[in-house]
Amino acid sequence: MKITRRDFLKASAAITGALTLKASGLMQLQQAMAGGGGAPPVIWLQGQGCTGCSVSLLNSVYYTTIDDLLINKLDVKYHPTVMAAAGEMAVEAAEDARDAGGYVLVIEGAVPLGENGHYCHVWEDEGGNPVTMQQAVQTFAPNAIAILAIGTCACYGGMSAGEPNPTEAMGVDDTLAYLGLEATVINIPGCPAHPDWIVGTVAALLAVLAGEGEMPELDEYGRPKDFYGSCVHDKCPNRAFGRTARTLGEAGCLAGLGCRGQQTHADCPIRQWNSAAQSEMGVNWCVGSRNPCQGCTEPDFPDGMSPFYNLGGRTGDKQHNRNGKV
Amino acid sequence: MASIIKIDPLTRIEGHLAIKATVDDVDGEQQVVDARSSGTMFRGFEMILKGRDPLDAPHYTQRICGVCPISHGMASCLNLESALGADVPANGRILRNLVLGANFLMSHVLHFYHLAALDFINTSGVIDIAPWVPRYVTGDMVAGSTASALVGHYVQALAIRRKAHQMAAIFGGKLPCAPSFVPGGCTEVVAQDKIDNFRELLAEQRTFIDETYIPDVLTVAGAFPAYFSIGVGCGNLLAYGVFDMDNSDENKLLYRGRYTDGDAAEVDPEKIMEYLKYSRYDDAGSGLNPADGVTQPQLNKENAYSWLKAPRYNNIVHEVGPLARMAVNYLSNDPTTIGLIESVLGANPDISVLFSVLGRHAARALEAKLVVDAMEGWLDELDVNAPAYVESDIPKTASGIGLTEAPRGALGHWIDISNHRIDRYQVITPTNWNASPKDDLEQMGPIEQALVGTPVTDIGQPVEILRVVHSFDPCLACSVHMVRPGKTEPEMVVYTRPSI
Repeated sequence: MKITRRDFLKASAAITGALTLKASGLMQLQQAMAGGGGAPPVIWLQGQGCTGCSVSLLNSVYYTTIDDLLINKLDVKYHPTVMAAAGEMAVEAAEDARDAGGYVLVIEGAVPLGENGHYCHVWEDEGGNPVTMQQAVQTFAPNAIAILAIGTCACYGGMSAGEPNPTEAMGVDDTLAYLGLEATVINIPGCPAHPDWIVGTVAALLAVLAGEGEMPELDEYGRPKDFYGSCVHDKCPNRAFGRTARTLGEAGCLAGLGCRGQQTHADCPIRQWNSAAQSEMGVNWCVGSRNPCQGCTEPDFPDGMSPFYNLGGRTGDKQHNRNGKV
Repeated sequence: MASIIKIDPLTRIEGHLAIKATVDDVDGEQQVVDARSSGTMFRGFEMILKGRDPLDAPHYTQRICGVCPISHGMASCLNLESALGADVPANGRILRNLVLGANFLMSHVLHFYHLAALDFINTSGVIDIAPWVPRYVTGDMVAGSTASALVGHYVQALAIRRKAHQMAAIFGGKLPCAPSFVPGGCTEVVAQDKIDNFRELLAEQRTFIDETYIPDVLTVAGAFPAYFSIGVGCGNLLAYGVFDMDNSDENKLLYRGRYTDGDAAEVDPEKIMEYLKYSRYDDAGSGLNPADGVTQPQLNKENAYSWLKAPRYNNIVHEVGPLARMAVNYLSNDPTTIGLIESVLGANPDISVLFSVLGRHAARALEAKLVVDAMEGWLDELDVNAPAYVESDIPKTASGIGLTEAPRGALGHWIDISNHRIDRYQVITPTNWNASPKDDLEQMGPIEQALVGTPVTDIGQPVEILRVVHSFDPCLACSVHMVRPGKTEPEMVVYTRPSI
């Protein structure tokens, strides 16, 4: 069943606070929506990642489904995994949208700064020169009305920046600072990001633009508080259960086995993952499968969150340092 | 006069791929005669893994690929279990098979409808908005009511693949990236309500595969008969096998085996070597078995054009993927596989037609049916009163190997443990095989070989190249180089232009 655009916007009605949209781009985006069937243009760039966040977005259903998003809600000008065009035809679609302005820029994956950015090329320009992810961020960020960093790699470097960070990978915020660009990034971390965190934030943006909602409030790491406002442990159903798991696969609190729920901000215990239908909570989640939370929404994931397990002698020794290395 | 077509980025794959193909007149037909395509992304996962807790490997390696994380989780668990000597309970083996099977279904449906089908469909007048425009429109694409029906199934398939992930999450914890995959089994437990929910979702997958996916592949095949002889490739096939039916490593739904120089043969992992002459890594690591492999990037190495290494079996180029798996099962006289292939190709078929663009799509669809049918039986084997996980010690020093299959082909993980930590971790992905660059013996990789000879009607709309590359379902950054001996350097460069 499809929901209407109005229902979709209402789904984010609870969102309050202040988000920094650029006033200059706001009018462009509103014009674009008025002229293009009400759907804002989106440019989705992929850096150093695994496409897992795009795949996760395909699982969207709680607020609405991916086909409804692509057909009715958004005007996705560039997304390398789904778009029909390839090669220069695809690049021109991205560049045309950039030059028109008033678009939402989505970045998935980290940005490698090592070797002058050459660990990740996004495409080749007309002169036959490779364009690095770093250059793409540099040229696409300034005209964006809003920038969404999707997944922990794009937000903070994530897996791609795991020690020893061979390619000097960074998140979008740090990349912009490195490039001397000023822009506010909405971070939607997770490895992968939950589809509802992405769609819910996009819905909030659409609501703001339609004059029907408030700006989402962000925490100190740029995450919308509606989704990342509480600790996993605070809402964990295992707390009411009142017992401690002694090994993986046992019912009970997993804190003693390495669970990062006390340091991790996300609404996984309430929302859960892989929902079956609109407005239904998910069918399972990491802790639900009797495995510890890995802390994947935090800025220091994975190095600060691993080793993921604390199984006593089972891991060989307990002398882990912060990076899980001897 | 030769022309160069550049396709960068090559879209509708996972990862960063760029192709430059040279086309020229060959016996009156415009064909690909030479091309180079470069994988353009490097993260250094193997370097990142060094020094970490071995138990973390399944969770790190699942983040190598968001389309097939479960296969990496499986390879990593098998790898560690071989190093630890862990004996996984039957429930753990079956639960992992069910999650992996669900992700196979997700990936195959996603690949056909959302990654590959747009190469064959003229969507003009059916769906005329981004991201489906701009697009290529060529005279040989299916149009009209057939196009409308296929686009309708494209939308339906989005829900089917979502539900396949929902199904996988029941025992995986969540998708993509399943937390429940651990060496020793699966942390999720067997419960009757979970089995019932899984079974209900499985039935819907099965109906879609039987009544929509396979018929749609046959529809495309009927409209593009030439593609049973385009994209032939190297002709050698390799499969590690997957879906263990017991703990012996001998009995699998999809068999381990290979087809080399026209003969079926066994697989000896010791005969896998990785070559680096044309890869951006230090040559000192070239020609090594992955158990001894090293990953030392060298960005500006002379003549190197790929971030992929070039794995070879016994120094011979092999293709991996659904085609390899179905052919190996067929040649191993698996009765179910024989029945499935004969249902499409007729009795006593000439399986050489499978070495083609359409053959790969057909093999993928038939494999989806083979897997979805088998999964029903696995649910019956689960024991609600038995554990799915067993603890085991991490030894101070050990080595392991984990061979399995991702939806797009053979996947191997190798580990050395030293002082209870990961000392060496090497991964060979399916796309390493299929999109490999030339090796030290100057042999081209499977996609390279498949592209040479591909006819290109309109160099401004090289959909034929997309059809060949997409038939391999490339995943992760990949790179291709191919040369047709005797052809001169290109004289003119033509860039692809938007047609709409």
